Amino acid sequence: MNPKALIRAAIIAIAWIAIATIGSELSGAFKQLLTSIGGHHWIGKSILTAVFFVLSYLALTKFSDDELSLKDTLSLVGMVILAGLAILIFYILHA
Amino acid sequence: MINPLILLHAMVAEFGLFAFLWVLVEVLNPTEARIRRARIAASLGLACLLVAWFAGGFYYVEVYGSHVKPVIKASEVAWVHSVIMEVKEHIFLFLPVLAATTAALLIKYNNELLHNRNARVSVAMLAGLIFLLGFAIAGMGAIIAGGYRFAMEAGLA
Repeated sequence: MNPKALIRAAIIAIAWIAIATIGSELSGAFKQLLTSIGGHHWIGKSILTAVFFVLSYLALTKFSDDELSLKDTLSLVGMVILAGLAILIFYILHA
Repeated sequence: MINPLILLHAMVAEFGLFAFLWVLVEVLNPTEARIRRARIAASLGLACLLVAWFAGGFYYVEVYGSHVKPVIKASEVAWVHSVIMEVKEHIFLFLPVLAATTAALLIKYNNELLHNRNARVSVAMLAGLIFLLGFAIAGMGAIIAGGYRFAMEAGLA
């Protein structure tokens, strides 16, 4: 198991969640696409989050060395904060 | 009467969050026994968050959308849905990703955590993040429940 690839895959998955969340509110067509996966846009986001996480990990194992640095983990923490704030601010502004 | 799915969702999720607090405590000053317990806690925590994901998701799709959301949105506290619930349902998705990552790191590094500071601090940071983020999400859940009660009482007044 490649820990660096795993952390980076988690970063991609969390970025995807924020992009999909905001994108689905701004684009009816994108929301409809997500709805077509599983019958509800939230289910579509959930499924694609898992899929992107796994696929990103598999792809990144080919490019990443497997030495985990604190910088990788701090990047993940940073992405969680950034994505979380983006979602929060978006919904406050669009309430 | 509380819907059983919400009770399951909340209880299992909170147990999962405490499991990751347990992970954090065990890896702060690790020994082989503490690492073993941390691995068990992380696996339990991940399983709990996955159950919470499914239970909460089922409730959200099948019950909340048709019975709870319209009541809240028609009330003076419509923001409880349009801000709090919307934020909660999407930020929740971070938790299974973080939980799977933390559990996988614990399994991968195992007793190497005794000597690998980067891995140990990474596991501790992620476990702490899951706990804090999860309890913020739980707080949002409490606001939503309160908002629904307020909206129901306002409707009956």
